[in-house]
Amino acid sequence: MPLPLANVLSRTNFSALDWGIVAAYLSISVVIGLLVRKYVRNMADFVTAGRGLGTCLGIATLTGTEMGLVTLMYSAQKGFVGGFAAFHIAVAAGVVTFFVGLTGLIVYRLRKMKVLTIPEFYERRFGRRTRILGGVVLVFGGILNMGLFLKVGSIFIVGVTGLSAEGWALPAVMTVLLVLVLLYTVLGGMISVVITDYIQFVVLSAGVIVITVLSASAVGWERIFGTIQAEMGQKGFNPLVAEGEFGVEYVIWMFFLGLVGCALWPTAVARALAAESPQTVKKQFMWSSVSYLIRNMAPYFWGLCAFGYIVTQSPELHSEFFPADGSGEGMDNLYAMPIFLGRVLPTGMLGVISAAMIAAFMSTHDSYLLCWSSVITQDVVAPIMKNKMSTPGRIRLTRILIVVIGAYILYWGLVYEGSDDVWDYMAVTGAIYFTGAFALLIGGLYWKRASSTGAVLALLAGCSAILGLGPVQKCLGVDIPSARMGLIAIGLTVVAMVVGSLLFPDREKPAAQAASSKEDA
Amino acid sequence: MMDFWILLWKATLVVGMAVFAGMAVWVTIGGARDIKRLFKRLDEQHRRGER
Repeated sequence: MPLPLANVLSRTNFSALDWGIVAAYLSISVVIGLLVRKYVRNMADFVTAGRGLGTCLGIATLTGTEMGLVTLMYSAQKGFVGGFAAFHIAVAAGVVTFFVGLTGLIVYRLRKMKVLTIPEFYERRFGRRTRILGGVVLVFGGILNMGLFLKVGSIFIVGVTGLSAEGWALPAVMTVLLVLVLLYTVLGGMISVVITDYIQFVVLSAGVIVITVLSASAVGWERIFGTIQAEMGQKGFNPLVAEGEFGVEYVIWMFFLGLVGCALWPTAVARALAAESPQTVKKQFMWSSVSYLIRNMAPYFWGLCAFGYIVTQSPELHSEFFPADGSGEGMDNLYAMPIFLGRVLPTGMLGVISAAMIAAFMSTHDSYLLCWSSVITQDVVAPIMKNKMSTPGRIRLTRILIVVIGAYILYWGLVYEGSDDVWDYMAVTGAIYFTGAFALLIGGLYWKRASSTGAVLALLAGCSAILGLGPVQKCLGVDIPSARMGLIAIGLTVVAMVVGSLLFPDREKPAAQAASSKEDA
Repeated sequence: MMDFWILLWKATLVVGMAVFAGMAVWVTIGGARDIKRLFKRLDEQHRRGER
């Protein structure tokens, strides 16, 4: 590690008091997560908390899950490089989530069907082979998507605490955080997850508000806008200008990702499926639209404050992030926000904020680990075994898979060296699953002629999204913007679903459709 | 045109944060109540299952 970088990281206000606050928070959170495991008796308890989430608890757990440390980090990075124009991503997410809550699009009907997972819906609507294939695609895209969570989260801890960014510290932080999450998720399943999510929501929401206020006052409200105006000009505010970071194509892609984030992404849908009634789902999503807005907008603002601070108040950091001679690459801009917070927040407050960020980290990891492992158990292994698995067998397998996926993300965090922007990496890997899921859920829920052949073709077409990933494009010698690749993949899945369904209609009416016709009659 | 965007993002940030702060208080109080109901409901479900 170059000496200047070590110096940059070590100049933080993080002290022993802050470490004490973080340790106390972690202990309380994990102990409560362990205490509530006694309520787990069957698979529905383990995966959906017995479908007993009220509106407020649903909002808390949905916010805790979707406002992860990785989200805060990549959003701060987006704000740092894209300016206020990045706010359009937050607005798109908020508007689309409110629309989903208002209309109940997808989530209302799924909750009404009382399925445990999205692939279970695939089976009811399109048959068992679609469920297994859908489960495999979902897990492949989802786990790949989760690959950078641990590393990016640990970069925050290293940046804010001043630990060494290379050597033993980063892997050690990654391992300790992961083991703590695994402990209570493996034992308590969704019940532990929602209770710890609630605690994490309380700490996290207070942290988000405090950081936003302190960051603005550290740099100066008007100075932040003035700096962006001076340094970035029009492209720092208007997301539609072609020469900026975004452009029209990107904005359209973000609106679609807004739909994905709330109505297609399995961890968000899992909250809808765990709600106590379909009506609760609608309320939960309408209110959660505020969280979806803030989960991106607040960290964009922190990234902007970090930019303003570096440009106007810290010549030393400015030369690290933007080398004047252009000879070498600047410091990784993921470090900008944590280093900024480490410098401007006072001792004590830094511990509380770090606890909030670790809360964000844990509440996302626990839900994702539980989600992917339960999909493998319920939607791949159990159907292959023709549902002969007992309930204790399913819970045992899910627990083993949680540990295996945890080991994988630790490995992937250490070895992946793609140069993609974190947000774009996540959008592309997620697209492997959600482009196919979009066609299957919309087609399956709202189009009677959607067939199982169309569904399988759409799932396979969705895998084309992997072409948007940097290392894959490098191998193939092509250069397509990830937003364009995502939109192409959506187009392909929709065409595959429509053409496949029209050319190869199902001979028998699927169970879900038959039940729905009976209900209508 | 730039003034429009600056005003828009300022308003979105301030209003969004204010609504989020209010929602956080409501969800904190209501969430604690929901947890009690969740445990009660799980206990009842398990008792019914054992019978």
